[in-house]
Amino acid sequence: MKSEATRVGYRAYIGSRPIHGSRTPQAVQNLVIRDYCQKNGLVYLLSAVEYTMPGCYMMLNEVMTELPRIEGMVCYTLYMLPERAERRHEIYRRFLDTGTALHAALEAQVLRDAEDIGRFEDLWLVRQALARAPKVV
Amino acid sequence: MTGGFLSKDDAALGEAFLRDGYVIRTVEDRPALDRIQARMAALAAEALGLDASNEPKSFLDGIHRHVTPENLNPFRVKMIAGINAEPWFRRAYYGLAAQALAAIAGNELAMQRRANLSIQLPEDESSLLPAHTDTWSGDSPFEVVVWLPLVDCRSTKSMFILPPEANARAAAGLARYDGKGVEALYRDHESEAKFLTVDYGQFLLFDQNLIHGNRINREKTTRWTFNCRFKGLFTPYADKKLGEFFEPITLRPATRLGLAYKLPDGFGG
Repeated sequence: MKSEATRVGYRAYIGSRPIHGSRTPQAVQNLVIRDYCQKNGLVYLLSAVEYTMPGCYMMLNEVMTELPRIEGMVCYTLYMLPERAERRHEIYRRFLDTGTALHAALEAQVLRDAEDIGRFEDLWLVRQALARAPKVV
Repeated sequence: MTGGFLSKDDAALGEAFLRDGYVIRTVEDRPALDRIQARMAALAAEALGLDASNEPKSFLDGIHRHVTPENLNPFRVKMIAGINAEPWFRRAYYGLAAQALAAIAGNELAMQRRANLSIQLPEDESSLLPAHTDTWSGDSPFEVVVWLPLVDCRSTKSMFILPPEANARAAAGLARYDGKGVEALYRDHESEAKFLTVDYGQFLLFDQNLIHGNRINREKTTRWTFNCRFKGLFTPYADKKLGEFFEPITLRPATRLGLAYKLPDGFGG
């Protein structure tokens, strides 16, 4: 693993399939991430684009293997993370173990230590609950 | 397959494309290519505060003497914006491969609105494009890519592609690599990957449904290549939509008539 001082940049991570039924063009996802990086002084590394096949996270796994050489990842939205909570926790753990940061550009959230996991999961769990809740009251 | 309706040349090109997954041809408009290359060199010199070069090819080949991996992406983005702002650029780009595109994809086409540019410095690990197909990332399987080098590209300075037969085997087993990553997929098929030699003055037209990508450029000079997607205008679109990503470029008169036509109405029933 490279020392933290020699790691450069944050890998952008965007998607090619709808997220919770909503589609955002890849060019717009990139714009949001570039803007976030600029505002937060992060070096932007070219996007990894998640594959379109349902349930596939191969590109996310690819970024995980890259973490020891970079400063972290900026995803377009934290809702791009895997649907299954245990898989999300594995992802969080990879960031913590490598001393890297996970940023979510749309929500302007960052995960740097174990305490941040709660904020990410609160957003996820509420969203999942809302998806199951009655739509008409 | 087409019952002899295609010309002999078109049929031969189509057969080669289906067999290999790509064709490499001499550009159809050399002055247009030289104009693109000269403009890119001028844009690069301007961005770097250097004097314009009389030898654009060797200047572009040696750009790693002026650009570091850390400032490569802002530089690349500036180059893309600069060349795409030229009103003549997309027409010139299309004209480099117009006949081949007509033979492979049809004569009524949609073209990517902004051509992409890849600049790969020697030994730079930060600009890698792992093994992928564009279709997996949201492109329609009906698209083809015109890949255009501004310098001579070979070996790791070029791109690799899996031939159709090897690709079919690799794609069928893709789910096995979920968790292992696409680098493992590449390693398992590395011996079958073909690095394409495409010199300045040629273009590569390839099937983006085939697994392709690049590796660390181990050559001594910098890679400069454009890539731009084309598809039959009325073929299905995927995540890259008409309007936001593609634009019609060769609408034909009969289609214009058809698009404008309205059946007479006002009947009482």
